[in-house]
Amino acid sequence: MLVSGAALLIACAAFVAYDLVSFRESMAHNLAIEAQIVGSNSVSALLFNDPRSAENTLSALQAAPNIISAAIYTPDGATFAAYSRNAGAKTAKNLPSIPPRQEDTYWFKSGRLELAHPIVFRGKRTGTVYILSDLREMTQRLKRYAGIAAIVLLASLLAALLVASIFQRAVAEPIVRLAETARIVSRDKNYALRGTPTGNRDEPDILIGAFNEMLEQIQERDGALRKAHDELEQRVHERTAQLAATNKELEAFSYSVSHDLRAPLRSIDGFSLALLEDYGDRLAAEGKDHLQRIRAATQRMGMLIDDLLNLSRMTRAEIRKEAVNLSALAQSVVAGLREAQPNRQIEFRIEDRLEASADPRLVQVVLENLLGNAFKFTSKCTSACVEFGKLRNNGSSAYFVRDNGAGFDSAYATRLFGAFQRLHTASEFPGTGIGLATVQRIVHRHGGEIWAEGAVEKGATFYFTL
Amino acid sequence: MSGFPSGFERGAASDRRSPFQRALTILWCVLFSVLSLSAEQPKPSEYQVEAVYLLNFAKFVEWPAQVVSPEEPFNICVLGQYPFGATLDKTVAGETIDGRKVVVRRFLKPQEVMSCRILFIGLSEEARLAEILKILDKTSILTVSNVPKFSQHGGMIEFVVEANKIRFEVNLTSAERAGLTLSSELLKVATAVTRNAQPGD
Repeated sequence: MLVSGAALLIACAAFVAYDLVSFRESMAHNLAIEAQIVGSNSVSALLFNDPRSAENTLSALQAAPNIISAAIYTPDGATFAAYSRNAGAKTAKNLPSIPPRQEDTYWFKSGRLELAHPIVFRGKRTGTVYILSDLREMTQRLKRYAGIAAIVLLASLLAALLVASIFQRAVAEPIVRLAETARIVSRDKNYALRGTPTGNRDEPDILIGAFNEMLEQIQERDGALRKAHDELEQRVHERTAQLAATNKELEAFSYSVSHDLRAPLRSIDGFSLALLEDYGDRLAAEGKDHLQRIRAATQRMGMLIDDLLNLSRMTRAEIRKEAVNLSALAQSVVAGLREAQPNRQIEFRIEDRLEASADPRLVQVVLENLLGNAFKFTSKCTSACVEFGKLRNNGSSAYFVRDNGAGFDSAYATRLFGAFQRLHTASEFPGTGIGLATVQRIVHRHGGEIWAEGAVEKGATFYFTL
Repeated sequence: MSGFPSGFERGAASDRRSPFQRALTILWCVLFSVLSLSAEQPKPSEYQVEAVYLLNFAKFVEWPAQVVSPEEPFNICVLGQYPFGATLDKTVAGETIDGRKVVVRRFLKPQEVMSCRILFIGLSEEARLAEILKILDKTSILTVSNVPKFSQHGGMIEFVVEANKIRFEVNLTSAERAGLTLSSELLKVATAVTRNAQPGD
């Protein structure tokens, strides 16, 4: 508005200025024509020395109210005839006593236009006409222009105001409202909101329509997404519940099975022992041996059942994490192992100050199994060595237990952790094949990972994270 | 007339000067005024003015289609006793009208003036004026004279003295009868323009 007003004002000013300049020129031109008429009508008066006739001619200038005074001079510069608008007193006073030497010139001076026109008759300078005019006409014109400019300016500003208000109502307001709606929608994530249509079938209305359509689509997709999400959640929930129930059932089943298996086993062992003790002297040596085998087998089966029960207990036990000094724990485990077989030559290297947040009871089981395995599988080495430490690599770290014992074929690395999976016979190395399965379950329940590296007769390394 | 105010202005402008300079200026002013007054003293004589007017008439009068050959100069003639002395010759010196050289010729007999364009009839001819005009009838010669009542007698332009100034009266009928066209500009500055009945009509 301000810009258009200024532009209009400048345009008006430029127009008025241009017009005034050209008007000045045309004024001077008109005055020159008047001077020429007066001049040519005064030739005879000059030639026949008749000032009265010249004054007569000059008095015709009364028709031009802007001419203040005029005079005719003889070629030698004497005043020949004079005219003044305000007849009488001022006549000669306003006139320059000597006419300007310049030929046919005009000049603006202190709000007046002066003009000197030489009278030439038959190629001879006969005299000079001098006219003094005020700029009344020009100031009147200026006033009129100022008035017109003011009216035009006012009218166009009013029109601009009107147009702007119409525009405001028709375009700006709906868009501002739409922007506000968009802001609320994105702030509240409420896609149920809608822009209010103007009902004018104009561009803002189309815009609002498109916006609403977009919102509808977003809302639809949002709904579909939420539905899909909810369904998925529901399905996961159901599956988890099913799985948990099945798992629980299975565990309960295996626990009860294991538990119930122990009773007949105890009977077999017990009655085998009774048979040996009570009727040992009546049995041949071979019979005794058979009974001894039965007893060993039942004891072994008892151990298997114990381990199975242990595994299932590990699975069900609640994890209570606390800060655990792994180094100290490993030391105590090693001490237990040394105590069990004091005559074994074996070196243990245990890294100091290893700390972890874990369930101390369960992590002890892990270390007992891993260190126990290492102890076991190095039994045939001449210079056995078992290492426990922490491997740091690229910001991640893992604990490891390394030995230089029997090792294993790396092709079976993943099968190691299955229950009852054994890579060696019980006669080579005793064991139930439950230990690593238990370890894996504990590590997984801590949210960690376990893996193994090794080669036959080149030792094995078990890595785990907690 | 013009010298006095300008001299006075010079005196007024010197007010800021020293007393000596001012005295000198005043002295100079007085001297200048006296000189300029004395320079204006010899007013142009009656015949000096009339000589100029004779030439100027030529510029406001149209003669009928030329009967004279193109080589013929523009003759301004004086009939009778010559009153102009040297002034008329001086006035027309170097002047041309319509490309013709202006020449002054003196005559004593009216029969000899047929090649003239303008004929000034001197006071000496007052007695035989009617006879002269009769001879000039049917010619295209502009007749001018300072003989009193010249225009009433059928002369075309008559010099008169009015308020100490030389003016002239015009007898338009005579001029038109002679086939001459007098410019309205000329008639404008004439003291009187008459259309009198001619004795011959």
